[in-house]
Amino acid sequence: MKRTIFMAGAMLATTALSPAFAQDAGVTIVLGEEPDLVEPCMATRSNIGRIVLGNISETLTELDVRGDEGLKPRLAESWEMVGDDTWRFHLREGVTFSDGSAFDAEDVKHSFERAQSDQITCEISRYYEGIEITPEVVDEHTIDFTTDPAQPILPLLMTLLTIVPSETPIEFTREPVGTGPYVLSDWAPGQSITLERRDDYWGEAPEVASANYVFRADPSVRAAMIATGEADIAPSISAIDATTEMDMSYPNSETTYLRIDQSMAPLDDVRVREALNIAIDREAFVGTILAEGTELATALNVPTTLGWNPDTKARPYDPERAAALLEEAKADGVPVDTEILLVGRTGNFPGATETFEAIQSMLSDVGFNIRLQMVEVAEHEQYYSKPYVDTQPVLVGAQHDNSRGDPVFSMYFKYHSDGRQSGISDAHADELIEKATAATGEEREALWSELFGYLHDEVIADVLLFHMVGHARVGDSVDFTPTIATNSQLQLAEIGLN
Amino acid sequence: MNGMLGKRAISSLVSLLALIVLVFFLSRLTGDPAALYLPVDASEAMRENFREIHGLNDPVIVQFGRYLGDLVQLDFGESLRKARPAIDVVLEAFVWTLWLALITMTLVTVAAIIVGSVAAFHVGRPFDRFASVLSLIGASAPDFWIAIIGIVVFSVSFGWLPTSGTGTIWHWILPISVLFVRPFGLILQVVRGSMITALGSPYVKTARAKGVKNRPVIFVHTLRNAMLPVITVIGDQAAALLNGAVVVETIFGFPGVGKLMIDSILQRDFNVILAAIMVTAVAIFIMNILIDIAYALLDPRIRT
Repeated sequence: MKRTIFMAGAMLATTALSPAFAQDAGVTIVLGEEPDLVEPCMATRSNIGRIVLGNISETLTELDVRGDEGLKPRLAESWEMVGDDTWRFHLREGVTFSDGSAFDAEDVKHSFERAQSDQITCEISRYYEGIEITPEVVDEHTIDFTTDPAQPILPLLMTLLTIVPSETPIEFTREPVGTGPYVLSDWAPGQSITLERRDDYWGEAPEVASANYVFRADPSVRAAMIATGEADIAPSISAIDATTEMDMSYPNSETTYLRIDQSMAPLDDVRVREALNIAIDREAFVGTILAEGTELATALNVPTTLGWNPDTKARPYDPERAAALLEEAKADGVPVDTEILLVGRTGNFPGATETFEAIQSMLSDVGFNIRLQMVEVAEHEQYYSKPYVDTQPVLVGAQHDNSRGDPVFSMYFKYHSDGRQSGISDAHADELIEKATAATGEEREALWSELFGYLHDEVIADVLLFHMVGHARVGDSVDFTPTIATNSQLQLAEIGLN
Repeated sequence: MNGMLGKRAISSLVSLLALIVLVFFLSRLTGDPAALYLPVDASEAMRENFREIHGLNDPVIVQFGRYLGDLVQLDFGESLRKARPAIDVVLEAFVWTLWLALITMTLVTVAAIIVGSVAAFHVGRPFDRFASVLSLIGASAPDFWIAIIGIVVFSVSFGWLPTSGTGTIWHWILPISVLFVRPFGLILQVVRGSMITALGSPYVKTARAKGVKNRPVIFVHTLRNAMLPVITVIGDQAAALLNGAVVVETIFGFPGVGKLMIDSILQRDFNVILAAIMVTAVAIFIMNILIDIAYALLDPRIRT
């Protein structure tokens, strides 16, 4: 009797699970963290962008992350420069928002002004900082953006501006309206978010009819959910679990590095900085603490970034030379015995603590006096951004993510003398950054390339470590390949059904 | 009894106030939410604007005055992260936690009392030995480990239960089972010990001498007297559950107040931290009163 009841219970349990399979052309995506908001103007924050970008909200332009088309039209059909400092965008006609209203130039103007408003803190606005941008509606489907100073990459910046209807109030919304192929249909905080396909989308209708997002903080639970069929896509699982045929690895555009504050001795000596670089056996990490496929970094930006310099080579591991360099510096009076604080962030990436412990040990082996401190995110921020701690020399272990194609999103704040997280103060680097920011085309690419080489080979600005890889698990019923941008956006239209 | 409850209420209110002051000032010592809310490359102007919008630029004492003023009107402020009233966010999560705690503690109490009593009655026999070993294992096994093993065995291998989440009654089984283990082990031990003492007491001997049967001896004469220390431990364990079962909530994606509290602390979402602490504090205060009443019902000496 008992056995019968138990079996009945087990069968009921299985039945209760079956809706996950039975959903008509729907997918379930399991993510690590729930967004606090589903607000289009916050879509540059990755946990929000993954749900909003390209699904609920669209932008005028978009970056092709699957092919090599570069910048592609989305809500704008074309764009050109009219005059030295004005960009003109020709908008797509026949586009409607999910509330039924038609999309026009006024919506673009309002979206821009709303993002810039000082009544709310839209994250997107930081990309337009320091640039005076004036939108002007030319006609219903044409809009001009006049900028001061001239902005050669304004069309690229437009990949970040999500378009909302002109009626959208300034304050944060919980019911986002966009022109995208999906609409937010349900949000049970703490549990799930559901998007449903629109029938009146202007473009090609995507295959997936609805997407249910659920949130599990533990990566092995996310992996288990795909294995049991409770979910179809887990964009981020841990490398330890990624051992089945359903798993794939992909570069996730994160670069791990140690930021050197060069204002403090002994880190102000270039020999000491070189010694830091060659004392770490980077290759020993790959396939051990860090996942197979992790690449050694020679720049803060990933190789697919404009101007990435192929001539810059990673310095080979050479502990003898590192020790010799330290001796040499010591002979010249550089206080190489000073204790250096290495700050790492707990949970920054899988294996972070072990990675920093290994680095500490490798640096100590060649004669550095390193003290490791693992801290949580808020405390880490106090070391990472200016004003810096000035009681002792510090190395900050951190990650930087720029999948947007252009180094401009990294260089100023990481390497300019006035950058909030810059460890260097170098007039030539400042000049290159300023020139490249204002340049276009091949000149821009050449200037960035020169900067990458200069920072790595001559300044030795930091200890560049790894371009990281992420691991995704995808169930049999769907067809999806993660890209370098999957961290920050996951377009449902790119998911196929088997 | 009313006097006792009144005194209890006043002392709890004083503790609550002290807690608010402490948490308010301590949390503000731990860092600037603007640094966490905004991306690392946000400019100082943006940070300044954020602090201005959320009133973080005023002196902390002014912020505290404003907070208390709002609190009197039952306004707990807005969540920095979620742009919604903090109390809504907390209550939403707390309902889940309350159910989880209530169901778990009911099951634990019933099971521990029955198994503990039977074990005490058969001291030293195989059943007692077995129950003791079981309870020791339960009390010492880490819950994250039990949770992961539970998922691997019952969800992935057998496919009987969903791995995590909410939605059906089946989703509750694993989280409750994991939460059950430790308090069960602890309370079982206390029930057993307390019962052994009570069973050896003169009034039980008298009852037996009168020819009272085993069952009434356990459930009528002994249990009631043995319950006082048990209730104290039940209260402790229930309070721990009401604070949120962080590990279980995190692993099973259960939207309770424990994970909410940890997340808010990490993000310096002050209003949510404070609201969560107040809601759980009030819940624990109410529970303590219920425990006091239970004491009084069981033991007439306490009623005065």
